[in-house]
Amino acid sequence: MPLLDVSELEISVHSTGGDIAVVKGVSFQVNKSGTIGIVGESGCGKSLTSLAIMGLLDGSQARTTGGTVRFEGTELLGLTMRERRKIMGNQMSMIFQEPMTSLNPVYRVGDQIAEALRQHRSLTRKAARERAIELLRMVRIPRPDERIDCFPHQLSGGQRQRVMVAIAIACEPKLLIADEPTTALDVTVQKEILGLLRDLQEQTGMAVVLISHDLGVVAETCDFVAIMYRGKIVETGRAEDVFSSVAHPYTRGLLNSIPPVDRDVEVLNEIPGRVPSIEQNVPGCSFHSRCTIAAGICREIDPEFSTVSGKHEVRCHFALGSNNRAE
Amino acid sequence: MTLLGSIGSAVFGRWLATTGLIWLALVAISAVAAPLIAPFDPLEINPIERLSEPAPPYLFGTDHFGRDTFSRAVYGARMASIIGCGSVLVALFAGGLCGMLSAYFPQLGHVLMRVVDVLMAFPALLLALVLMTLLERSVINTVIVIGIVYAATTARILYGMTLKLKGEVFVDAAICTGAGHSSVLLRHIFPNLISPLLVQASFVFAFSQLQAAALDFLGLGLPPEVPSWGNMLAEERIYITRAPWLLIFPGALIILTVFSLNLVGDAIRDAIDPRFRGDIAGV
Repeated sequence: MPLLDVSELEISVHSTGGDIAVVKGVSFQVNKSGTIGIVGESGCGKSLTSLAIMGLLDGSQARTTGGTVRFEGTELLGLTMRERRKIMGNQMSMIFQEPMTSLNPVYRVGDQIAEALRQHRSLTRKAARERAIELLRMVRIPRPDERIDCFPHQLSGGQRQRVMVAIAIACEPKLLIADEPTTALDVTVQKEILGLLRDLQEQTGMAVVLISHDLGVVAETCDFVAIMYRGKIVETGRAEDVFSSVAHPYTRGLLNSIPPVDRDVEVLNEIPGRVPSIEQNVPGCSFHSRCTIAAGICREIDPEFSTVSGKHEVRCHFALGSNNRAE
Repeated sequence: MTLLGSIGSAVFGRWLATTGLIWLALVAISAVAAPLIAPFDPLEINPIERLSEPAPPYLFGTDHFGRDTFSRAVYGARMASIIGCGSVLVALFAGGLCGMLSAYFPQLGHVLMRVVDVLMAFPALLLALVLMTLLERSVINTVIVIGIVYAATTARILYGMTLKLKGEVFVDAAICTGAGHSSVLLRHIFPNLISPLLVQASFVFAFSQLQAAALDFLGLGLPPEVPSWGNMLAEERIYITRAPWLLIFPGALIILTVFSLNLVGDAIRDAIDPRFRGDIAGV
């Protein structure tokens, strides 16, 4: 049984013209200690998916309208807030994109870590503080016994993200959802945080869902990837399979738009066109308007998943050949 | 730097705000130690000495009953403090609770904030007048009415701030660690609202003084025998040409107190504005 089993997840947002499904039929599994990367450009629904798994969609803007999310066999979507609170922070936790705003500015960081601990473990104040120092040491914050009494504004962005990681792993969760954890950070800090996450994963054996728009990051850290476009997973498989034999034109486009570092280019490669607005109902394959190999059938029939090899699946009528290496 | 420390340095860093604070301290001392400071009983009638000019032993003169104006002014400080603190408590508690809950639970907010809108559609004084005509004249009713009038503005301010805080990532992060509604509201949102509440308190205090004086003047505030600055103005207004000191002293007290409150309030607001709170240890 997979640790996390998301199946046919559908998320809708309110609009004047009625509800619009912005995430459609998203399914993926995460095994114990596994790492899955969910990749896609802004607005493709990857963050909404992670928020839905954590139950953070309160219905005021977006809500889950279909599908199931099972964690260790327990269906999460129907849980009451009270039941869910036992799992959140304890069995699964999340870190966010913005380290600048994800810590409460009025509390010392030590108190924020301790709170996460005391929520689920009956620890004394002193024991919680000691554990908090230990956690800060685990996330490699120098002089943790001093830093524990800092307010968030006294820490740098990278350190704040480390504190967030410390809070997230405080209760040794089985699953960590990282929603673009390094997007707001410098490249060097980014590398450190990713390295930290990988080391922590090795130490604790937790599974990680890494949401990112950075293919490089995903290729480096994940053993499974799912590429999303306009609310649907368009290509999924083991990371080495997907990156070595790209099957979907969108994935190919994304890979091609990474600028080469070994030579100068005048014009950067891009995927032509723009993502159609979510309010627009696109018949057929949602990518056809930007696809270079689209044909008549793409405008009429939305392709189902077809297997490329093993677990590598793709939604495309003209899946690129298995030997198509990304240039 | 702590919040109190930064407020302290902002208040004492400006001579105007410092003067205001000293004045407020004097008012507070008078309020607490009124029986020790006042040379006469504020209610003692002495018809022989009526309408005396300011001169020892009557520092501020006497009114048309021969009561010592200085003693009445000192006891007036006590009333001013009671009305101010009481209204602040009512306004901040009722308004704060209403604003926070409305923002956090949108369904509740739809109803509560419409009530607030209706309250805010009335001019403050008119609303206070309407409410006071329904109630008996007493200290507690005056406090409640002024409190309700300013609860509406407080609710509006806190509604907006809570709405903004509710969208902050740290609130989502708290929910992710398993925090429930009460914990999110009390432990994560409320502490971020203390600074704006403090500023709001200073302004509600100032406005409550004006409002109370206006109600007293119109004969709808405190019972007439209670020595308050507003009542003094109301009772002695017909003697403005014969004995102007009867109006000058209480009027000046109201002006000075409200002005001081505004100065201190401004200083507090500047102190807690995050743009002036910069001590980031870049590590």
